[in-house]
Amino acid sequence: MVKRSLALQLDEVVQAMLVSLQPRPEKSPDRELAALMRVGQVLRELPREEFRVALKNNLQRRASMSESTATSKVATGETEAREVHYLRPGLTSITPYVIVRPAAQFIEFLKSAFAGVERMRMPAPDGSVMHAEVAVGNGAIEVSDGNEEYPTAPGAIHLYVDDPDATYARTLQGGATSFYAPTDDHPSGDRWGAVKDLFGNHWYIAKPRGWTPGPEGLRSVQPYLHLREAHKMIPFLEAAFGAEAMGVHKSPQGTVAHATIRIGNATLEIDEAHGEFQPMPCHLHVYVPDTDAAYARALQAGATSIEAPRNAPYGDRAAGVKDAFGNSWFIATYLGR
Amino acid sequence: MCASLQSLRQGGGVTFSGAGSYIVRAMKATRRPARKRLARGTDEGVSGRAARGAGERVLVEAAQRDPAEFEALYELHFERVYAFVASRVRDRATAEDVTSEVFHKGLAGLPSYEWRGVPFVAWLLRIAANAIVDHAKRAAREFPAPDDLPEQALPLDLQASEMRAIEYRAQLFRLVGQLPQVQKQVVYERFVEQRSITEIAQRLGKTPGAVKQLQLRAVQNLRAQMEGGHG
Repeated sequence: MVKRSLALQLDEVVQAMLVSLQPRPEKSPDRELAALMRVGQVLRELPREEFRVALKNNLQRRASMSESTATSKVATGETEAREVHYLRPGLTSITPYVIVRPAAQFIEFLKSAFAGVERMRMPAPDGSVMHAEVAVGNGAIEVSDGNEEYPTAPGAIHLYVDDPDATYARTLQGGATSFYAPTDDHPSGDRWGAVKDLFGNHWYIAKPRGWTPGPEGLRSVQPYLHLREAHKMIPFLEAAFGAEAMGVHKSPQGTVAHATIRIGNATLEIDEAHGEFQPMPCHLHVYVPDTDAAYARALQAGATSIEAPRNAPYGDRAAGVKDAFGNSWFIATYLGR
Repeated sequence: MCASLQSLRQGGGVTFSGAGSYIVRAMKATRRPARKRLARGTDEGVSGRAARGAGERVLVEAAQRDPAEFEALYELHFERVYAFVASRVRDRATAEDVTSEVFHKGLAGLPSYEWRGVPFVAWLLRIAANAIVDHAKRAAREFPAPDDLPEQALPLDLQASEMRAIEYRAQLFRLVGQLPQVQKQVVYERFVEQRSITEIAQRLGKTPGAVKQLQLRAVQNLRAQMEGGHG
């Protein structure tokens, strides 16, 4: 019986440790329990077996490749190590889902302006685009004509490209109007230009300046959300998706002048809506390790349900929520292996 | 200030200097011709650390000739590097990113690595320390506040106590793999996946009480082996 009670006691302290954000030093009067807890605290940082194996495989693949293919392959191998288990191949953790009409014409714009590659298109019975996926750089944009349930919702997207000036020029050829031409004076320090396309989407076209992307490479496609009371988005994303706020820059008034937020292997950006950059409630497709858990946490954090978790026919565990700002989040976990 | 930088600072940074440092002592320990010692074996009173250094040198040279041999170094040091990184970053995803970066850089940089008696793991941990700083810098790259950023990559010179802590954690990680299958599964589901006892009970087809017992036995096993294995 004594042993049984130790099992209960240990679980209580383990539970307390797992739910608290910071490992809490347990002041346990019981020496044995304290010793077990020291083990427990190390176990909390135990590496995932899948990660250990995936990284080993990537290194082996890398080692067997010829030396000439060096850097770009490092980036691919790098991300694969973590992508294996819940991301749909070809998609990162965050993909903008752009619903505009006519979607077919928008896809042509993505191809001509951004060298987009159409990977998939599923037509609806009436010939409109039910769902399409266009690769842009190392990211992707999902596209649909939408329907009554999902009306058009253009969004703002920050693209990293090799040549922002040329890309900017191509968007204008494709009918976009300019907010401003690429400049080195953007507060981010990047070379940065901005346009609005014929469909109402904003495109922030940039190239890094003064910093080097990590080995995971640069994410070409990042949704950019202009929000009212943008600071409230951060705790929501942290709670719902385990997001990490990186480099939150606040104005003297305390509003969010800019923040980058990471979910899984991808990032999105937010700022306080201002001037021409007003809220554009949009759709986002996020891949998470556990759709059901993320869905539940999102509701707890104030989102409303669009669709409860279900096994979608295309092989995802999928759910949908709408956040307090009116953005829809399609939450998914890739089930196929 | 971004979270990663904060955690970096809370960890006291990665600079550990002083005459009694692990690396300095390790260098002294392995200054004599290491390869000859290995050939003669370890029963001549050669210290364990020097023997490990010598064995490691063989592995490093093999990997320099054939990158496919890097796997042995990975197997030897994965847990150490991960333990080091995980203790300095905020979340699992970052720990995985950085660990992955360290080994990819290690593999890529192997041809330029020169054996000078410094343990290979120290070289990897130096890459890791730099990678953690880089990661924090990238995280703060938008509108960086100058006082948040270390000027340059910090030197890494670990204290023996720090190195012991890394060894302890790495050893514990390895021992989990040797637990009886069901205990191992409980450990991963509970501590890594962070599932509830109820959920694990359902998945294993056991009662919650039985899962708690398994959890206790697993942790007791690990503790006993950690205490028994090293005096």
